[in-house]
Amino acid sequence: MQSQSRLSESAYSSYHTPNSDRLAAILQEMEYINTIGKSFVAAIDRFQVHRALLGALQKLYSFAACSILLKGDPFELSIIPCYPLSQVFIAAMIERIASAASVIDFPAVSVEELANASYLDAPDDLSITQKLGSPVQDMIGGAVIGSFLNVPLTVENRIVGMLSLFDEREGTFDTDLLKLTTMIADYAAVALENVRLRERETALWRQAEIGRQRLELIISSMAEGLLITNEQGGITLLNVSAQHLLAQAQLDLKQNSPLRTLALANNVSWLHKLADIIDEALTGVTVMNQELIAGEAGEPVPLTLSISAAPLHDASQVQMGPIGVVAVLNDVTANKQIEKLKDEFVSVVSHELRSPLTAIKGYTQHLMRRIDRRLRKTQQEQQSSAISGVDLPENYDLRSLSIIQSQADHLERLVNDLLDLSQVQWGKLHLQYSSFYLADVLVESVRSVQASTEQHTIYLDIAVQDTKIVADKMRMSQVIGNILDNAIKYSPQGGQVTVKLEEREGDYFVSITDQGIGISQEYLDHIFERFYRVRNTASRQYSGIGLGLYVTRAIVEEHGGHIWVTNNKGLGCTFSFTVPAAAHSD
Amino acid sequence: MSNMSDHSSSVSREQVAEAYLKAFRLIDDRVTPYLGKVTTRVLVQGAAKRVSSTYPFLHFLVKMPYTDVVPTVVQEQLSGVSTIELAAALDALLQECFAGIKELTGDLIAPPIYDEVTRQLEQLQ
Repeated sequence: MQSQSRLSESAYSSYHTPNSDRLAAILQEMEYINTIGKSFVAAIDRFQVHRALLGALQKLYSFAACSILLKGDPFELSIIPCYPLSQVFIAAMIERIASAASVIDFPAVSVEELANASYLDAPDDLSITQKLGSPVQDMIGGAVIGSFLNVPLTVENRIVGMLSLFDEREGTFDTDLLKLTTMIADYAAVALENVRLRERETALWRQAEIGRQRLELIISSMAEGLLITNEQGGITLLNVSAQHLLAQAQLDLKQNSPLRTLALANNVSWLHKLADIIDEALTGVTVMNQELIAGEAGEPVPLTLSISAAPLHDASQVQMGPIGVVAVLNDVTANKQIEKLKDEFVSVVSHELRSPLTAIKGYTQHLMRRIDRRLRKTQQEQQSSAISGVDLPENYDLRSLSIIQSQADHLERLVNDLLDLSQVQWGKLHLQYSSFYLADVLVESVRSVQASTEQHTIYLDIAVQDTKIVADKMRMSQVIGNILDNAIKYSPQGGQVTVKLEEREGDYFVSITDQGIGISQEYLDHIFERFYRVRNTASRQYSGIGLGLYVTRAIVEEHGGHIWVTNNKGLGCTFSFTVPAAAHSD
Repeated sequence: MSNMSDHSSSVSREQVAEAYLKAFRLIDDRVTPYLGKVTTRVLVQGAAKRVSSTYPFLHFLVKMPYTDVVPTVVQEQLSGVSTIELAAALDALLQECFAGIKELTGDLIAPPIYDEVTRQLEQLQ
């Protein structure tokens, strides 16, 4: 044994010395373990671990260099020289390390890869010596490895790396030093694992912080307003756009008190609506495209916001209630302005169209009556003079005028639809309530529509005894007529149309089922929107401007009822609507 | 070394496997005080990786620690392998394992362990 280790000497002599000497040896050993333990525990980066390792090993014996190869992708190889080493010696070290790594089941690594991944971690005093001392050439060691040791670094039965020791002299290491080196390697392995975990933690924190800053930048740059509340409905975040959009409140909205409380405490009417939206989302419901007029009531087109709000759930507790709400605010004032202009235009044009149309219809009827009288007179004269079979020009005039009248009627219906649209848009759909039997309206409508088609058969099934209702008779007739017209129009091959009247839970329930082309599932949600035309009718032209069902829904809802449509599994569709039986009956 | 192969006709596959498993356990006992208790396991795995090109039926030892090898595993993994071939393969594995120990520590601990293992295998004949 060539070691100069004080520890090994004391440990081995302890068996042959008096008790006090043995205790002194144990104390010395404990002090050594305590010292190296402290230095490893205090190490906060791998360089400090290297220093602690070098210090611990150099207390036991002298050697040329040690190295630490750590598993990972990529490998990390730190070479820690005890004195300046020649390039040849370092190259030989790397070759030995690669060879040893292969036998303890390291992932395959070549000498070149290790050389590229290696890092020379020379102690500071080595560089100071180089600066102050004699020429470097004199201090550089030899080129041949005389002896070596490779010890796996293990943590919890897992090999995390390998410690290698090298010396120029032969026989530097013995079995006792190997055991001691393995013990020190255990300390180093744990310390390096702690450093790795700390570095990983720091990297994750840094990554999270970069993500947070990025998110903050995105939120502050968003053109849409973003509002986030806590679970009580108190605003915790308002981005710049949201601050601008809600500036009309002239309130500090980020007071962390619930929005409802703020709304009650302040005279800002629209805050209640905003609080309603937030409260609804706090129940776990996603609220979509709610309009909120946040401008002054007197303005021609006040600031109008479209708000969508969704509940926020804690990622770890999805089953629990929301921990807040995230709402997106869009300024739709410009859209409202355009819509208003459009509505005004439609309203003006339809009014302007109606006057000449009335005149056209009136004069057409007048002309038809006159020609009809003249025709009858001529026919009587022909009968008395026994002339017959002559096609009179009045007949031709009458047919022409009939076409004019029919087209004028069609034009009138379109104009009426546009006028109804205006009324619905401006909230001026006033109903003229009267008492009548709903069954009578259905019978009249069915008879009228049936008269216009020979291809279709309309069945009427009235399953209610008393159908008396207080409603707007003309509008009810319009509703049934619109749906029946559609049933006929979209059943180009003819077929049955079934109209059914029932009573369900205090409501009259009317369903109209056809056997036509039906409506694709994707269009069902939009069928009642204004100017909406179903696209799967592209192969065939169907007349209409997409207002009938929009107005129909407005009339039904104004009566307090509901309207919906369902597909009949590839054979037409069913429009259903309800009207409260007791509506306005008082 | 190849102590078992000469008499392989008189021994079963399981006996050959058990003899070499004992040899690896002995190596483990001797190596652990010097290099820690995981080292022999990974030395055998590394050795298995190197010999499995010649003896593909030993490839299962690349992933499975030799300490998990029980008679049922021998039956499952080595069925169809002749006793002679198995003894040759396990001997190659043992040699590679010793080569690994030498790669790590030079001649510090390998020679005495090698002698002891040889003696043990001879006794098991």
